[in-house]
Amino acid sequence: MNRPDILKDWFLIRRDLPQSRRLGLTCVSFLLPIAVWCLVSYIPWIWHPDVKIELSAEREGVTTVFTAGDHISRGFFPEFVEAVRKENATVIAGRKSGTTEAGAKRKNQKLLRQLAPLAVSHDWLSYTDAQNDAVLYTLWRDIASGAKTTSKPALTAENLEIIRQNWALLSAASPEFSYSKLPDGSLLKLIPQGKPANPIYLPAPNEVISTGLRDFTAKVPAGELTMGERYKKSLGVIFMGFFWACLVGIPIGILCGVFDFFSKLFEPFVDFFRYMPAPTFSTLLVAVLLAGDAPKIALVFIGTVFQMILVVSKTTRLLDPSLLEAAQTLGAKPRQMITHVVIPGIMPNLYNDLRILLGWAWTWLVIAELIGVKSGLTEFIETQGRFRNFDRVFPIIILIGVTGFTMDQVLSWLHGIFFPWAGTSGPLSRGIVRALKWPVQALAASTARKNLVQP
Amino acid sequence: MTTDLTLPNYLEQTSEVAARFERLRQRPVALEVSGLTKRFESSRNVVTALDNVSFSVHKRELLSVIGPSGCGKSTLVRILAGLETPTAGELRVYGEPVSGPGPDRGMVFQGYTLFPWRTVKENVMFGPRMAGRPAFTAESEAREWIELVGLSKFENAYPHQLSGGMKQRVAIARALANQPRVLFMDEPFGALDAQTRSQMQLYLLDIWKNVDITIVFITHDLDEAVFLSDRILVLDANPGRVREIVEVPVPRPRTPEQIFSPSFMAVRQHIDHLIHPPGQEQKEAPVLRHAISDPDVV
Repeated sequence: MNRPDILKDWFLIRRDLPQSRRLGLTCVSFLLPIAVWCLVSYIPWIWHPDVKIELSAEREGVTTVFTAGDHISRGFFPEFVEAVRKENATVIAGRKSGTTEAGAKRKNQKLLRQLAPLAVSHDWLSYTDAQNDAVLYTLWRDIASGAKTTSKPALTAENLEIIRQNWALLSAASPEFSYSKLPDGSLLKLIPQGKPANPIYLPAPNEVISTGLRDFTAKVPAGELTMGERYKKSLGVIFMGFFWACLVGIPIGILCGVFDFFSKLFEPFVDFFRYMPAPTFSTLLVAVLLAGDAPKIALVFIGTVFQMILVVSKTTRLLDPSLLEAAQTLGAKPRQMITHVVIPGIMPNLYNDLRILLGWAWTWLVIAELIGVKSGLTEFIETQGRFRNFDRVFPIIILIGVTGFTMDQVLSWLHGIFFPWAGTSGPLSRGIVRALKWPVQALAASTARKNLVQP
Repeated sequence: MTTDLTLPNYLEQTSEVAARFERLRQRPVALEVSGLTKRFESSRNVVTALDNVSFSVHKRELLSVIGPSGCGKSTLVRILAGLETPTAGELRVYGEPVSGPGPDRGMVFQGYTLFPWRTVKENVMFGPRMAGRPAFTAESEAREWIELVGLSKFENAYPHQLSGGMKQRVAIARALANQPRVLFMDEPFGALDAQTRSQMQLYLLDIWKNVDITIVFITHDLDEAVFLSDRILVLDANPGRVREIVEVPVPRPRTPEQIFSPSFMAVRQHIDHLIHPPGQEQKEAPVLRHAISDPDVV
């Protein structure tokens, strides 16, 4: 069996793949879910359990009203269509028998408007004119005469026929829109049209991208926040909460790791406290700190600080004790051992701990923004989710994910710059460190020379 | 050890060597250990690691401590360095009683224990800086010590960039930069490969020749002990007691060829017998349960 080289050596037990393959697989790991999403969204026969209504109709004596854009199940849609056809048949039968009902003006006006959403989506009509009866009237005329449909046929032949029949009645009454001149008898209803769609909670990628771009660039009414401002506010809450947690958690953690005294004094309670979920304090925090950002920051703080104390103390204890012994034999005093051995020694691990804890802080952010007065990105998610505008929710979720991920990647890369001695830095970060260090070293060398010359 | 050579008595010293030891004994006592005892007590039993250990080291002497594994060599050196407290006994450096670690007694560990976040130079500067010396004097001193151990090219390298032998040289320079009165070395070359180890032994003798320092050297390697030392303290195991303090009759300066000299082999054999008493070796050959091909190769 002679396999080509490209297929060989993909599955090696506990051995690293070559760099190019690793990079490729990293890309695939992101492309794969996106590909699945695209397949499900754009290939109708894979899933698509719903029909998204493009052209709707109101039915007699039925209170449930479907408007364009609504999703109904694929099984129910033909039933809906049949019902409308039956109603049209009754109207035609009524006309033939001469028993025309009167007082249908209002109903006919609404019927004319049913065409608007489809027309807007096909650029036959501007969005602002969707309720403008005069413009809609001319649209009916244009479609009946065939002016619009030749370039972009979006209506079924059945509906075109209905439009022509209706227009014959309408134009006989008046060439331009006038409510009083609308026919008294019922016009024929447009037969509902729709296309297969996924459930509302799974919008297609292009919808998510376009609504996302729209939401992020949209101008908002005075007093409301733009998406950028919401984003900044969320980042503000998370960083303030995390900053306070660091300010409290790191010193206590180090003290616990160094001195058994502090370890036994603080850690048992902290260990107990961290099992009380931070969100359970939300109402309490709002009562104490009132509305605004303070209780939110406090929630991120509570959610992070107790973990931080335990993690930092553990990291401190992991420091090689022989380094402390070496420092002792070199004459370091206890305080010097903390400042010159413990703190620099745990830095790289502490940095990694903080990276992981920052990830936790993001989790608390979402809950924090829901307490008291809702704010930031989460408020937007919450509001739009209630209106079932999931295409507006997804961009925010993705934004939070991308932010957290990018931050983590950047911080992990910076590890090599901050701690060149840990032996994990790549050639690029090593070069940067050397470039940054050079002026300091040059300065130190020149002052040292001066000091040597003086005596 | 079976050999056809008839070895001289290890106590025989040439007049040169005898005169050297005479001078050594006249020098002041750098480290005096008297009645040192260490017991580890747990709820179940009491282990006596060291029992009434007494000896003294003269100024500029290189004394090795050797013994079977588990004889408390490491415990002894840790107590001497002040990292552990003895159950009983006293420790004097140039006549002054000491307890706890201090910069007067330097230590080189088997595991290098360099501070990984400090460059070679910064590691060597550590002791003087802790003592409050200004940075520039500490730095120029550090340079000298680094030059002494031959690592000037690597003064700005981090420990993770160095080989084991280089790391240990930095550790020696770091300990010496503090100018301790006694230097303890706890199996410093134990983690190195054989070739690097013998190289490091020569380095150490070279450094010792140029620096005014008293060294207590812990090892389990007989050749290393004989090659380096003026005197060798042989410890018994369980409990750790001083068996004998052997004066090495090999003249200085030492060279690697001396390993084959009769005086070297005599003292080596004597200490070997002290540690592994003859007649206790396993007599019976192991019974093999599987057939081996070509049994006559042995």
